[in-house]
Amino acid sequence: MSLFQSFPRAIRSGGAALAVTVLVGVLGFVIFYPSQAPTASVPVAQPSTGPSSITFSQHATAPAITYHNPSKTLVPEGRTLFVENCASCHGVNAAGSSRAPNLQGLGAATIDFWVYTGRMPLADPTVQAIEGHPRFTRQQTLAIAAYVVSRAPGGPAIPDVNLGVASLSEGQSLFSTNCAACHTITGVGDALANNVYAPSLYGVGSTQIAEAMRTGPGNMPRFGPGTLSNFQVASIAKYVLYLQKPQDPGGLSLGHVGPVTEGFVGILLGLGGLMLFGFWIGGRAAR
Amino acid sequence: MSVDEHLQGTAGSPRGVAQEHRSLDTGSKTAERFVALAFFISFVATIGLGVTFWVGGQAQLEGAFLFVALIGIGAGIVSWGKYLVPHGPFVQEREELRSSDEDRAAFYASLERGSKQLGRRKFLGRMLGLSLGAFGIIQLFPFLRSLGPVPGKALFVTHWKKDSQVVKVDGTAVLASDLEVGGAMTVFPRGFEGNALDQVILIRPATTEIVTRPGRETWGPQGYLAFSKVCTHAGCPVGLYQELTEQLLCPCHQSLFDVLTGATPVFGPAPRPLPQLPLKIDSSGNLLAQNGFDQPIGPGFWER
Amino acid sequence: MMTQKVTDWVDERLGIAKGGRSSLNKIFPDHWSFMLGEIALYSFIVLLFTGTFLTLFFVPSSHLITYHGPYKPLDGQKVSEAFASTLRLSFSVRAGLVMRQMHHWAANVFIAAIVVHVCRIFFTGSFRKPRELNWIIGTLLLILAIVNGFIGYSLPDDLISGTGIRIAFSIVESVPLVGSYLAFFLFGGNFPGNSIIPRFYTIHVLLVPALIVALLAAHLGIMYHQKHTQYPGPKRTNRNVVGTVLWPGYALEAGGFFFITAGVLAALGGLVQINPIWLYGPYIPYKVSYAVQPDWYMGWLDGALRLMPSWEIVAFGHMIPNVFFPAVLLPGITFTALALWPFIERKITKDDRVHNICERPRDNSWRTSLGVGILAFYVVLFFASSTDVLANTFQTSLNFVLWFFRIALIVLPPASAYVTYLITKETQKNTAAGQRKVAMIISRDETGNYSTVDAEPAEDDIHPAQSPVPVPEEAAYLHHNGLVVGSEEQELVTVGDSNGSFTRSLESELPPQRSGGSGVFRVPRSLPGSQGGFFGGGPRRRGRGQRHGDQK
Repeated sequence: MSLFQSFPRAIRSGGAALAVTVLVGVLGFVIFYPSQAPTASVPVAQPSTGPSSITFSQHATAPAITYHNPSKTLVPEGRTLFVENCASCHGVNAAGSSRAPNLQGLGAATIDFWVYTGRMPLADPTVQAIEGHPRFTRQQTLAIAAYVVSRAPGGPAIPDVNLGVASLSEGQSLFSTNCAACHTITGVGDALANNVYAPSLYGVGSTQIAEAMRTGPGNMPRFGPGTLSNFQVASIAKYVLYLQKPQDPGGLSLGHVGPVTEGFVGILLGLGGLMLFGFWIGGRAAR
Repeated sequence: MSVDEHLQGTAGSPRGVAQEHRSLDTGSKTAERFVALAFFISFVATIGLGVTFWVGGQAQLEGAFLFVALIGIGAGIVSWGKYLVPHGPFVQEREELRSSDEDRAAFYASLERGSKQLGRRKFLGRMLGLSLGAFGIIQLFPFLRSLGPVPGKALFVTHWKKDSQVVKVDGTAVLASDLEVGGAMTVFPRGFEGNALDQVILIRPATTEIVTRPGRETWGPQGYLAFSKVCTHAGCPVGLYQELTEQLLCPCHQSLFDVLTGATPVFGPAPRPLPQLPLKIDSSGNLLAQNGFDQPIGPGFWER
Repeated sequence: MMTQKVTDWVDERLGIAKGGRSSLNKIFPDHWSFMLGEIALYSFIVLLFTGTFLTLFFVPSSHLITYHGPYKPLDGQKVSEAFASTLRLSFSVRAGLVMRQMHHWAANVFIAAIVVHVCRIFFTGSFRKPRELNWIIGTLLLILAIVNGFIGYSLPDDLISGTGIRIAFSIVESVPLVGSYLAFFLFGGNFPGNSIIPRFYTIHVLLVPALIVALLAAHLGIMYHQKHTQYPGPKRTNRNVVGTVLWPGYALEAGGFFFITAGVLAALGGLVQINPIWLYGPYIPYKVSYAVQPDWYMGWLDGALRLMPSWEIVAFGHMIPNVFFPAVLLPGITFTALALWPFIERKITKDDRVHNICERPRDNSWRTSLGVGILAFYVVLFFASSTDVLANTFQTSLNFVLWFFRIALIVLPPASAYVTYLITKETQKNTAAGQRKVAMIISRDETGNYSTVDAEPAEDDIHPAQSPVPVPEEAAYLHHNGLVVGSEEQELVTVGDSNGSFTRSLESELPPQRSGGSGVFRVPRSLPGSQGGFFGGGPRRRGRGQRHGDQK
């Protein structure tokens, strides 16, 4: 008797309510559910037996990158700016000094990259230049580049990336081959050895991305035309721009740093949150 | 004895009595309401979940509705157990786990009986051991041998051979003019593009201050250096080339290799230099391997 | 009457009423720290549910296909079927992403709960006789959980986990004598091969879960048979258990906690992104990303790999590789020592008594300080697995961070052990440490003198841990059958009806309890968790019948 009585009436009626709910739910499901599952978004996987190397053939006919040097009319303005801001280290003719490297022959792309990402002018020449707010307008930057090019021609010109012809997918593939090893696969950057950092790729424009690849600033290797074609550089730039605002269908992105933050969230929010419930349920020990 | 008498008996002050009467009732009522509300909220969230599924699903909504639905049920049930049923505390004795001496003695006697009956035939026991042992050991062989080949020489060699052509991952030949000074790229022997163990990092350092080790004088024509990209520590691709400091960093455990002195480890856990691939350039400017690696690539192993 | 009919039917065939009675009346001690194992258990159940869902869509194959799906940045790339099916789960299967993320979060929480659970057992000495066997089973469960976590993390065949598989190959390869053979047998040949994903899949969904279920059953069965440990307190002895009765109180609380656990994991799974493999891309052996870390529970091994000096033993034509020491020897020693700890401690203390009362960590200085020291060692290793991320976050040199951790690994464990030792000694002296606060009444008489008395206990003040009583039905059964109940202090009392009035009548016999020594009433803080604090209810709640009685 006592066993049966120990089932409170609430549980008995609860069971009945549950049964009715399930029944109604199943009936409703059967009656109202759309007869066909959505198939539009299911990917079609096509078997392939080829080698693992990836080849892309959809190289566009329009040039992926056009290079141009800044107009020579900017040289006088550039000279003024250069003498005021750069010449104390690099010399009036941009030939370098004991404190700073020779800029002659490095090309407009190099100058544009260093100046327009805010790395130059540099306050302390002994540490790695970090990106920041550019000190000069676009026109001023181009003027400085024009001046340096006017001292000694050569070097890569400023690239203008045509993102329309670039391939996002090829960019992903090339990025993971050539860039992710330092900048990480999500582009957040990381610390390298000996006080060197691979900067975050967030907030950089396509021109500067292409300039960095072509000129190899600082510790970054140079990726010349023999290594990466213009189409490939443009594709990488397109993917980097995507990475700056990637799809995060899973919710909070946790800074795209990977398992480090995930672990902390799992332990602190997950286990920690559950332990708060545990305090409620279990209570404290009596003394 | 009625409950009211008991309450008056224990709670010494009038305040205690009055409060206990009130709070017992309201407490229960509040708790009941809370439980009912929790279940109802859960019900509503479940409806929301169903609707979300119906219209195509959205991860954040699904998570939020699932959360509310489950937490509602959970909090309701827990509160029911905590506030609406007699909660003790109850006490219970622990029985001693150990058996009584009599039980033990009886157990040993039975054990002994069987052992003696078996122990008389020692020879049969040994034969059984032999057959079972042999069966067990022999079964291991097909199992293990089916799983994979024995290593043999596989860990000692790569596909790099004398005159292997250096190609990019897409199969195009690498010419001596391809790499800019200060550039790096991942290359393979022709026919094995993308192979995990044949990957080589080809570097063209911007400096000529290369310290060549004896016997390697001709390995780096036109300043080209090629090293196995498989880390000698744990096998990760050493893909991180710091151009200015002329160092290769392994992204996994931060072993640092000095490119200019033959990729010798200067920092981190890697114990050995990255093996260097001897290069040459043929008359039409193609990069070729003089020979294969002079040592096994990758992490260490017993037979090495 | 249906219930009775059903139970009678079953009982006539299985005799469930005999054992069922004592099960329903079984007592489980209450304490928040006893919830850790429950969290692990419930996370595991969530893992089983979500994992089963995932198996319906996941394709464990290294076979390469060309991806054409909703995720455009990977369109047209050659990826393994394992990777493609994980993308499909994430983007195309309804509720697939939530299930995948819940599964991953549940794994992280599962192992975290186990680790903290182990710490709780260790620091309270709950592994002592008679619970050594369950400690060993628990250690095995921890190992299996970590192994399966790593394997599951590897299954999507993405760039980050693929690098982890590469390291795993090197670790297996590093075992002396048989390493290269082991690695070739596991991977079906040289790295990478095509076998590892399907084999990992079988291990992940079949082999290890089956082992975990079996060991978990043994773990819970032994715990149930031996009865749970309890913390010291009034009326709590080494020979009794004080707490909540299984039916219905504990059953409701434990059952409800399962839903709460699943709910929290669902919240994480739906709202916080984990392992976005679409951003990582497929694993290609020559590609690599920086900042590659394993999931948190492998962090200590990754940290050990990073901190290990560049040593390698070469002698007699053979080599013991560098990774052997941090990645094979260290976990080997760790888990062996962990499993054998009860026996090691017994060797030192020569303590052969049965212990059913948890020790407060501060009361055992040497064990607590030793435990904290060892824990500090692994915590340093854990943090060392993110040297690069830390160096980047704090804009410090990577080399400095590495050396910092190498030194910390040697300095911190003894230092923290010593500090812990001092703290335990200090708190031992203070008998009131951790005691609940007491309400006082300060009054002034006509002459202006102040006097202080303890406040009268409000109904909340009587902590329910005091004056525990036997479960009425169990006591009645034992009494009726002439079985012994009650120890030195418990007297058998007349049993009322089963609606709770018994509890009340017995309670009335007992005077309000005073805490030992301090002579004050313990006032539960109005925190959730202290009995009765949440809704302002009394220490005992009357059943339905009782309240009706009052109203008459």
